[in-house]
Amino acid sequence: MQCFARWLASERIFPKIPFVLVESLFIVTILIPFILTIYISFLKWRANRPFETAQFSGFENYEAVLTSDQFWLALGRTFYFAGVAVTIELVVGFVLAMLVSECTRSKKLYTTIFLVPMMIVPIVVGYNFSMIYIDSGPLNQLLAPFLEPFGIDPRIRWLSHPVAAQFAIIIADIWQWTSLTFLIFLSGFSALPRQLINAARVMGATPWQIFWRVQFPLLKPAIMIAIIIRSMEALKLFDPVVLLTFGGPGTSTQTVAYFLWEQVWVFNKFSFGAAASILLLLIFSVLIYFGIYLLIRQSAVGRTA
Amino acid sequence: MTAATLNPEQARARRIRRERVRRIVRHAILLSWTAIIVFPIFWMISTSFKDTGEWVTWPPRWLPHAPTLHNYAQIFAFSSMDPSLSRQAAEQAFSIWKGLGDAVLVCTIAALLALLLGTFLAYAISRFNVGGKYFRYTTLTIRMIPPIVVAISILIYYAVLIPYATSALFGTRISLFDTYVGLILIYTVTTLPFVIWMMLTFIDEVPYTLEHAARLMGAGRITVIRRVVLPLVASGMVVTFLFVFILNWAEFLLALTLTHPEVTTLTVLLNKFQSASEGRLYGPQAAIGTMITIPVVVLGIMIQKHLVKGFSFGTIRR
Repeated sequence: MQCFARWLASERIFPKIPFVLVESLFIVTILIPFILTIYISFLKWRANRPFETAQFSGFENYEAVLTSDQFWLALGRTFYFAGVAVTIELVVGFVLAMLVSECTRSKKLYTTIFLVPMMIVPIVVGYNFSMIYIDSGPLNQLLAPFLEPFGIDPRIRWLSHPVAAQFAIIIADIWQWTSLTFLIFLSGFSALPRQLINAARVMGATPWQIFWRVQFPLLKPAIMIAIIIRSMEALKLFDPVVLLTFGGPGTSTQTVAYFLWEQVWVFNKFSFGAAASILLLLIFSVLIYFGIYLLIRQSAVGRTA
Repeated sequence: MTAATLNPEQARARRIRRERVRRIVRHAILLSWTAIIVFPIFWMISTSFKDTGEWVTWPPRWLPHAPTLHNYAQIFAFSSMDPSLSRQAAEQAFSIWKGLGDAVLVCTIAALLALLLGTFLAYAISRFNVGGKYFRYTTLTIRMIPPIVVAISILIYYAVLIPYATSALFGTRISLFDTYVGLILIYTVTTLPFVIWMMLTFIDEVPYTLEHAARLMGAGRITVIRRVVLPLVASGMVVTFLFVFILNWAEFLLALTLTHPEVTTLTVLLNKFQSASEGRLYGPQAAIGTMITIPVVVLGIMIQKHLVKGFSFGTIRR
């Protein structure tokens, strides 16, 4: 027993214990299910039939996914939502961080308030916005004075209109996640070396020049990080869709995550879902690879600086 | 040009005036964003105190006409004692207790497990470079896989492979679908990368010379970890635990897809009200939303200073 303990504590074995533990956990819970998913994706199987009766079908499922308009539309929509939302989040977060970093006394208070949305559970955010958009909600009340004179009933059902519903989801995302870009940029601003800016000012640079020539280049790593993290998360968009629109009206707000969920959990199309998720992972792995590459590069820069 | 022609006093007055305008504009923008942030939260809290008829009146009331604790009484099932209440109150699904208990149980155990494994591994990575130079980055890939992909493969795994394997091996069908173990397992795995990352930033800050000195003085490996390293990273561990707890608490997709009808976390419970047959129950939903929100906002404000570490993956240094 003592001998075994000493063996465990030895230079060669000890560091490997947690590694082996965690890796085996990853293998059991991620890798094996993943291989199983690949296997299932080659079968012809719906969950309402017994698994044993499933037949091998080759690439049929992949063909079905690749020729499915809904899949591509959902994917395109996801990128569209993510693109619009992340762009606005970056701009708004940047401006807010810049303004807050200029504050002196009220900085702490603003920071605390601005970070609250990030902590609110996404599904509650979805619920909150569904309350605001409903036909007799506060949004319509605010719009009523502008609409009623023209004889328009202000009780607009925002979530029943395809484009309005899409923007409803984007707005909910912006409301919640601008706080994250704000946080990243704020820490970027507070890490800026003061001497450099003072030096530029002494040498007669205008505020505009100081911003574009001194501050902005130094903030590039923070901007990069914000873009990576936010795009990764935005492409997973699911929770607010469920709470706000259920993918509707029609399929106008179906994101790719929602589309897959519906295929598997509502229509029981397991092998279709498996094939689609493998394809989705392939598409995402390009992004994941790119994100990791940038993270490694950024942190290498951060360490040498 | 104009600035040069002004005398110094005028220039100064002008600068002060400009500074004041800037400040007013700045605060105007910041305050309007504050209003945008506060409003949805205010609306939810306000709705949670409104009585049945007031949930969706036109024009909507900003403050409840007659504030009532009715919704809270319903979700905490105090009112089920009273038979005179509406039939909705009798519906068992209203009770928040099951959801609250399940959420606390699953989130706590999963966060503790992830913290234990992740801290140990982070220590090994930091001190012995286990798994190579880029291991700390590759673990992150797990976090970046879209959860829906994980959910589909885990569903198939839990509901198909494990029952088949166990019935073949032990003769009994064991399914991890809709069990505490299953949900805890997947929460642990999905939050491990975050734990490793956050703990790495804390452990990297502990000087190795300290440990070296302790080792030279004859302390064993376990003693060094327990007496030297752990006390120094304890606060970091608390922050990481709270952070991971919040992540699990907010998780919806995996809980929705891997449990039904037995295990119910709070996020799933909130969604259940959505599809209730008698239309949406805005009031109790608002009350549940408020109950979900309060603990995370309180915990979040507590660890606010450290949040950036978790989100920036250690690449931004203060």
